[in-house]
Amino acid sequence: MRKLLSMIAAGLVCVASPVSAQESQAESWGLLGEQALRFEGKVTDLLCAITGNCPADCGAGKRQLGLLRDDGSLVVVGKNVQAAFNGGVPDMLPFCGQRVEVDGLMVGEGATKLYQVQLVRPAGSDAVFEKTTRWTDVWAASHPDLAATGDPWFRKDPRVLSRIKAEGYLGLGLEVDRKFIAEW
Amino acid sequence: MHVVRRFALLILGLLGMPTADAIADGGTRMTVTGEMMDTWCYLSGVMGGAEAVVGSSHHTCALWCAAGGIPVGLLTDDGTVYFVLQMEGSPDVVGSDTLLDVQSDRLVADGIVYERDGNNFIIVEKVVANEGITVLNHTDYGPVPPFAIPELN
Repeated sequence: MRKLLSMIAAGLVCVASPVSAQESQAESWGLLGEQALRFEGKVTDLLCAITGNCPADCGAGKRQLGLLRDDGSLVVVGKNVQAAFNGGVPDMLPFCGQRVEVDGLMVGEGATKLYQVQLVRPAGSDAVFEKTTRWTDVWAASHPDLAATGDPWFRKDPRVLSRIKAEGYLGLGLEVDRKFIAEW
Repeated sequence: MHVVRRFALLILGLLGMPTADAIADGGTRMTVTGEMMDTWCYLSGVMGGAEAVVGSSHHTCALWCAAGGIPVGLLTDDGTVYFVLQMEGSPDVVGSDTLLDVQSDRLVADGIVYERDGNNFIIVEKVVANEGITVLNHTDYGPVPPFAIPELN
């Protein structure tokens, strides 16, 4: 009887375990202060969470986004799972105002933290997690001619290229670039 | 009095000293001075140490990350990273031209700062001064990442 009660108690503990305690499937990137973290929260834009200025569309992609956890804390979503300098807004914006379950990496060694969201799905869902790879699709849709060529987006993005053309890779002018490239 | 206070804030800001004025909307009005930078590389260490992921070494990567919609921050001399929520009235802080134009530059910025759950945020109301790129570290670290300058590969 005691063994049966113990098994029932153990089962109740498992059922009552919070989502954050579930095992993360996040891939390690070997980052500073890296902590795999899977949790549920509500998608919000940061300006809304901090100042109370809250458009229904979370800024329509022009505001940075975050997650409000059940304890009231705010998580800054800064990165998606792609390795080519891509943010997480395109992956989180479709869930604006909704609760989601995310899995990813919290990074940062000090008090300042940033979350890399690698997987997302609606909270309470049994749906397969979606990898956060929408950024390059959004870029390709807005640059259809460039997307067809082989180089990665950051080598051909017109806004980046125009600034490098004007100010150089170092941002100090073309002459500084020329000298540095010749001597490095 | 208002003019005198703003003048004093400007002077302190130009000296690189944070200046607090008043509480507004739950935040603190301040003038802060620091570099506009890429928060992901700085906080994650993915490209190396903190001293190598700022300034001229990291400028191209900072452009890539800003254009990629990664949050842009303002790094002050005391090491505080302020996530930029708005920039001089522009609501667009996700890959915007406004931010691309000042990446890696050292700014004196008038704005409202907030702290929440360990993170710091800023609404930049006015860029008081732009000193350009002042951290000239490319001869120390080269381009970071190394492939930032294709001619070197």
